[in-house]
Amino acid sequence: MLKEPLSFLLTVEGERVVDSVLRLGYVHRGLERLCQERNYVQNLHLVERVCGICSHIHTTTYCQGVEALLGLEVPLRALYLRALLCELERIHSHLLWLGVLAENAGFTTIFMYAWRDREIALDIMDELSGGRVAHAVNILGGVRIDVGEASVASSLMRLDELERRIEVFLGVIQHERTFRARTRNVGHLSAEQVRRYCVVGPVARASGADVDVRRDAPYAAYDRLRFKVITSNEGDVWARALVRTLEAVESVHLCRQLLTELPDGPLSVRAPRRVPPGEVVSRGEAPRGELVYYIRSDGSDKPARIKIRTPTLATLITLPDQLRGVNTADVPVVLAGVDLCISCADR
Amino acid sequence: MIDGLSALFALMVFPGFGFLFVCALAFQWIDRWAVARLQGRIGPPWFQPLADFVKLMAKEDTLPTGAHELACAVLPVVSLAAVLTASLYIPVAGRAVSAFEGDLIVVLFLLSIPALTYFLAGWFSVGVYSIIGGNRSLLQYFAYEVPFLMALTSPAILSGSWSISHIAVQQSQTVWMVLVQPLGFLLAVVGLIGKLKRPPFDIPKAKSEVVAGPLTEFSGRKLALWHLTLDIQMVIGIFLVVNVFLGGSSPGTIYPVSSLGAIPAAMAFGAKALVVLLLLSVSSVLYARLRIDQLANIGWRVLAPLALAQILATILIGAG
Amino acid sequence: MSRFHSLIYMLPELWRTLLTKPITVRFPFAPAELPRYFRGKVVIDPTLCRGCGLCVRDCPAFALELERESREKFRLIHYRDRCAYCGQCEVSCKFGAITLANEFVSAAPQRDALSQVMVDRDNDMPHK
Repeated sequence: MLKEPLSFLLTVEGERVVDSVLRLGYVHRGLERLCQERNYVQNLHLVERVCGICSHIHTTTYCQGVEALLGLEVPLRALYLRALLCELERIHSHLLWLGVLAENAGFTTIFMYAWRDREIALDIMDELSGGRVAHAVNILGGVRIDVGEASVASSLMRLDELERRIEVFLGVIQHERTFRARTRNVGHLSAEQVRRYCVVGPVARASGADVDVRRDAPYAAYDRLRFKVITSNEGDVWARALVRTLEAVESVHLCRQLLTELPDGPLSVRAPRRVPPGEVVSRGEAPRGELVYYIRSDGSDKPARIKIRTPTLATLITLPDQLRGVNTADVPVVLAGVDLCISCADR
Repeated sequence: MIDGLSALFALMVFPGFGFLFVCALAFQWIDRWAVARLQGRIGPPWFQPLADFVKLMAKEDTLPTGAHELACAVLPVVSLAAVLTASLYIPVAGRAVSAFEGDLIVVLFLLSIPALTYFLAGWFSVGVYSIIGGNRSLLQYFAYEVPFLMALTSPAILSGSWSISHIAVQQSQTVWMVLVQPLGFLLAVVGLIGKLKRPPFDIPKAKSEVVAGPLTEFSGRKLALWHLTLDIQMVIGIFLVVNVFLGGSSPGTIYPVSSLGAIPAAMAFGAKALVVLLLLSVSSVLYARLRIDQLANIGWRVLAPLALAQILATILIGAG
Repeated sequence: MSRFHSLIYMLPELWRTLLTKPITVRFPFAPAELPRYFRGKVVIDPTLCRGCGLCVRDCPAFALELERESREKFRLIHYRDRCAYCGQCEVSCKFGAITLANEFVSAAPQRDALSQVMVDRDNDMPHK
């Protein structure tokens, strides 16, 4: 329903799905190849446009990789601001996803409510960075926007409101009868399947796998923050909804920590234009899972190769398994449960 | 001559086609406005349903190759005719075009024709989504129609007459049927939601699953007539429930009001119709859409036994 | 949680929504508020621009073009339809000549109207 092009060929017997064939590539823009023809500064903005929902984590992971190649030490204040926007993006992505899941299950009211409350998170990002989804906050060596006292105070107030609203959705997921009826025991993935397909993100965490890049390989300011990694053992779409909503609540707590413990200091260091030769693998926890950037440089100011492994690619391959034997009516719910971001997957 | 003219007036203007057309557009707008406000947004402007109708009438009319053209052209007209014929016997503010003993059964039969033509529309306009939607609409028909029929026959048994006008008038002398049979009223409203294919029972035309169900391949004038049929069906359904359960146009519950002025009767009737409409709007935003097997489950395991219990209670207690 | 409560769970929430104002902004019949750091129209101060070309080199959308004849004679053209309004030129410019103003860029019926000569420097124009 998220208006992204994806083709499914379903073989149906009455109301049961027997087989499915998945086709991708409708929005393949060749971004990795385009990156090789632009210098590192231009690539920062190209990489931001891989995905509209998780744009900031793409630039953050890219910047981390290039800064590692350059051997730069990014100031702490910049790391905190980067993490702040990462968490705000996680909240807005999860609320967007909740709305999409509800709409696919026919629950238009929750769709409208979730997107209305997502506006609060977008307003915070608006005030901090000037853009609702394309923040353009990162530069090589740090960030370029500062956060003042007034912004911190108003953001904290908005975060309180946001937390109240997310609690409402938590209640709906846990207690509302028809939502449970549509999402319970649908699209089940066992822990064994998750391990075999190397699934990442909330889909893996909802089946019991305890993986989170923020805790396992901390980046930005995450080694100084206290947060919980939410898992569940149920493994169906309902568990994924629960995991994502609880993660959104956890992100609100993280944002509060980041805003109140913001250290003073410079915002960026100067980054040289030419990157010494080498290769680096940089990881980040996008809202949909683990995002991997492989960057190889040959000493010039243009990268030799950038390879992006987006989390949707890892979760997509479980879809034929999930769709086998499911009702036609459950197909949109299963597709929504996996939280596809086709523009991420196709690049 | 005068008789013929007044009959023509009743058929074409009030309470016939003209009035129903205006009511259909108005009810659709009120429903969309109420749903929008409940979801935290502003609804469309008042002329939106009229604009939609005019736009559809002006659009190109296409059908896929392999579709049965004659059937697809005839079906919307047939279902509109069925719904309009059913409206002849339903009193509006105390006045029906015609009435006879047994017209309740005729109306209920006529109102089940649109369900059949809906399925046939999906069948004859060949398309994967149309056929799946049509199959679902038939399954849904069996799930809601039985409780709906049984819920509407209990008031008839209680009031001892099978004419809708008579049932409505009788309630102005005793009490509203909803106070005596609240369960019947609830079942009738739930059956109405299923009949009108509104959320949570909009399974045949689930937008995220089967595009638009049986009407996917229709466009232009045929689609305009289909939408008009479904809207008039909503108006007729609401009027039926108001007459049978809420006492037609009598404002009081206890006092025997037998004759009223035309304006107060119309206002009372309109107010009750609005209440039922708002009930339908609120119920459409409360729930997620059900699956067809869950609906069949609820229809046969919960609704039908309740309706049966209602009828038995009416027969045993009411007659005694 | 009783079965009945789980069936009418949404009702209090619906009531609360009815009592609050919808968040729809009736733009363009009501004004749209822009945030402080909004990246809108690209504005170049011609007195500050030296024609160094840093912005041209760093623009990811190739929206800036520098036509240089000599040290004192150059033209800087900005293509508003190619521009992605990312703000990289604002960061790259060492002399602070570029800012992204806090206003929308209006549409135009012809493509040519969207490209704008921002700086046209001739020999005898003074600069700081």
